Amino acid sequence: MSPKTKSVVLSLGLAALVSGCGHPSNISKEADHGIANAKMESMLDLEADSPVHTIVMPHDEPVFPPGPGRDEFVTACVVCHSPRYITMQPRFSRTTWLGEVNKMKDVYGAHISDEQVLRITDYLVSINGKAGTGHAPKGAYGE
Amino acid sequence: MNRRGFLQLLGATGAAALMSSCNRVNSVVGTLSSPTNLIRFPEKTEMIFLTDRPPQLETPIHYFRQDLTPNEAFFVRWHLEGLPTSVDLRTFRLNVSGHIRQPLQLSVDELGSQFEPVSIIAVNQCSGNSRSFFEPRVPGGQWKDGAVGNAKWTGVPLKSILDRAQVRSGAVDVSFNGLDAPPLPSVSDFVKALSIDHARDGEVMIAYAMNDQPLPMVNGFPLRLVVPGWYGTYWVKALSDVTVLPHAFSNFWTDKAYRIPNGPNGTESPKDLAKDTVPINRFNVRSIFVRPDPDEILHPGMPTEIEGIAFDSGYGIRRVEVSTDGGATWADARLDSEIGKYSWRRWRAAWTPRSRGQYRLMARATNVVGDTQSKEQWNRSGFMWNVIQQVDAKVG
Repeated sequence: MSPKTKSVVLSLGLAALVSGCGHPSNISKEADHGIANAKMESMLDLEADSPVHTIVMPHDEPVFPPGPGRDEFVTACVVCHSPRYITMQPRFSRTTWLGEVNKMKDVYGAHISDEQVLRITDYLVSINGKAGTGHAPKGAYGE
Repeated sequence: MNRRGFLQLLGATGAAALMSSCNRVNSVVGTLSSPTNLIRFPEKTEMIFLTDRPPQLETPIHYFRQDLTPNEAFFVRWHLEGLPTSVDLRTFRLNVSGHIRQPLQLSVDELGSQFEPVSIIAVNQCSGNSRSFFEPRVPGGQWKDGAVGNAKWTGVPLKSILDRAQVRSGAVDVSFNGLDAPPLPSVSDFVKALSIDHARDGEVMIAYAMNDQPLPMVNGFPLRLVVPGWYGTYWVKALSDVTVLPHAFSNFWTDKAYRIPNGPNGTESPKDLAKDTVPINRFNVRSIFVRPDPDEILHPGMPTEIEGIAFDSGYGIRRVEVSTDGGATWADARLDSEIGKYSWRRWRAAWTPRSRGQYRLMARATNVVGDTQSKEQWNRSGFMWNVIQQVDAKVG
């Protein structure tokens, strides 16, 4: 982003986390429909000629089951991305999940200690893991 | 396009801007990977929901029955959480700088009124389209076949802009940055580059319109780089900065990310990963079924039409063969007329299933230089999938 383009408003993570949308419910009925029905509460911009073009992004808040490492996961990971980045994946081996968490720390600079890497990995394996050593991709980025 | 028409085009964005006070959705882990999980983003229709932040939205296949993919259904993929959600066209400028004599700051209005507009119909496809089909599975956006679309892009040839900026001799690369920003200082800003020769080939363009409308915000409003025949990673969205460099460009997104094994069709073995890799570049050739619908039940003795799309990086599709018996026999499909060298091309094949049962349909495209689709393919990043597609049709 260029510093010259101050006109641009960015939806930064912390802003999204503290937005005044109330608290997530613990039980989702919407998910039962298979349609994540974003409550659009939409209205048309009345100023059709407005030079300012603005949208408001929906965001999904999956409800995660309790378990060891959940707090570290929720704190460290969702600062930068939706937890759906985990839940959309197939079940991976511990080797693969450990590789992914280490990539977040070493390549993208996630603020987590080596101890937290292991606890987050434990949690990911508990919610979306599979047995076996599996395949640990090396040097796979941008996917 | 005259100036008035151009302003009308931009004015349409105001009416299209959907506002929402609170777009919160909740879901429960365990139900998320349902194939019917859809979400609606601003300016978009219901799309297959991969992720929300940053968004990855997949186009339902039935939209590919249209030659041009509607803007509201065109796939979405961002890398960084800090994507633009508001742009003021009064202050937005495309900045052209670097190894040039004449730096430029161009408004979108100036791009529309001071340069001769050009249009091109071109496929844009995510590098990771169809990643979920790789075996063994690889981490990343778990796309099926809908991270691709075909649109009419209108804008200014990048060459025209670079000519006005007067590129100095010795230019090597041109880099492209958009309005999106990393969530942490340690995350590299998403910037991509092309060689100066590619940037000046007259086909790479900066688009301000998509299917004769402004781009939806999540598809890159107000400007998007269009790189015909090349994977979507180069099609920088919300493009704000073009920088001409007297040296090779280097950053994480080029040196480490979006690389493929330097071998045939970007393939390697999980047991023996390639050491030599190159940046991903042109599309390989592939075809995608759009009919029959997966839920459709066909009837014995009833003529039906199988239909699909095929594309490559611009050489052109020469032939599409279809099998209705799991690959034992093949017959040529009919090709619709070509609507552009970078567009996809529609194909059709008449088929009358004789009896009840399940039939394995397959389609294989070949381009004019003889490239065709593979039977097996794998790479660590899940890029460039073009294995011959297999679809099961139910006849009952």
